[in-house]
Amino acid sequence: MSISDFLRGSPDGVDVSGPKIVCSFDLGGLTINLTETVVLSWVIILAVTLLLLWLTSDLKTKNISKKQAVAEWAVKTVYGLVEDTMGKRWQWFAPYIGALFTFSILGSLISMLGLRSVTADFNVPLTWALITFVLIHGTNIKTHGFGGYLKGYVDPVPVMLPINILSEVATPVSMSLRHFGNVVSGMVITSLLYYALSVLTAKIGVAFMTIGIPAVMSLYFDLFSGFMQAFIFIMLTMVYISNADGNAET
Amino acid sequence: MDFLSIDVGTILFTLINTGLIFLAFKLILFKRIDAILEQRQKEVTDVYTKADQALKSADSDKEKYAQAISGAKEEAETIIRRAEKIAQKQGDSILEKARHEAQAVREKATLETEREKNLARTELQGEISDLAMELAEKIMEKEINNADHERLIDDFIQNIGEQS
Repeated sequence: MSISDFLRGSPDGVDVSGPKIVCSFDLGGLTINLTETVVLSWVIILAVTLLLLWLTSDLKTKNISKKQAVAEWAVKTVYGLVEDTMGKRWQWFAPYIGALFTFSILGSLISMLGLRSVTADFNVPLTWALITFVLIHGTNIKTHGFGGYLKGYVDPVPVMLPINILSEVATPVSMSLRHFGNVVSGMVITSLLYYALSVLTAKIGVAFMTIGIPAVMSLYFDLFSGFMQAFIFIMLTMVYISNADGNAET
Repeated sequence: MDFLSIDVGTILFTLINTGLIFLAFKLILFKRIDAILEQRQKEVTDVYTKADQALKSADSDKEKYAQAISGAKEEAETIIRRAEKIAQKQGDSILEKARHEAQAVREKATLETEREKNLARTELQGEISDLAMELAEKIMEKEINNADHERLIDDFIQNIGEQS
């Protein structure tokens, strides 16, 4: 939606679409699409990398700067969260949790710059959920052995096998769809609201409705929802994995 | 792209992107902050160790000083006692010497007196014999009569009285 639409009211209907394809190429018969999502992810990665480099430059042990205090707080918070949820021996997992949380929250919040949310592309939360899925089952096999892992599917009675398999498959599906659904519904509602308000503006001729109300709505749908979904996603990831790791001390 | 679609390309890219952001977190943020936290921990431990050492050395110093002070006290007492002894001895010897000297002086004085007496006696004897000789000469010169005799003896005795 351009600024002129915003001020005058959109003449066209609301359009909610998937991510645009920037370019696509062939890789052994497989069409690889370089979409808006991927490009924006790169922007986020670049921004995050620069931010981290800036935060961790000129570290000291005494008389620390404010940015160092922020960096230390962030690291300690993530360590504390991972330790509380998964136990001390999973501390090495903390960087992944921090990275996932940051990627998710920035991927959602990028919509506030008028860009398309990275997490509003189902493939993104799906990828993360698949990573979690692999980690869950990998941990399970590592902890219980392959036999023990397979035996888990017929537990407590063999009749439970289909239900157990379904529950395992449901985990990544529910995780990814929850994240995607929340972000994308926020996006759709915001778009509809903008459209409705701009129609109203077009009727009245003054752009007072489009200022204020969307900001409040955006506070919930972008900031709150984006934060909540990122948090829920990392919490579920940690809980599922530490559940698979049966002998974790917590 | 469709609104809801599964795209292998996007999944692969997202996988790589997630890996990249993970590496950025691990290699930049966590590695550096971990290192600095560890270093700080080490410094804190060092400070504590140093403080403990300082405390220990201060304690041992204190003990050493206390020992030194008590040693000094003993030494002072010994010195005083020795000094007292020496003073006593010196005083005794001075007294002894004085007594000796006094004794010597007294003896010398006695001796002197004795000698004087003897000398006087010898002189007196010489004088008496001279007088006796004189008297004998005078008797020989004159014919001695009774009265002269008596007068001579009186003179003689008178002479002795004057002499002594």
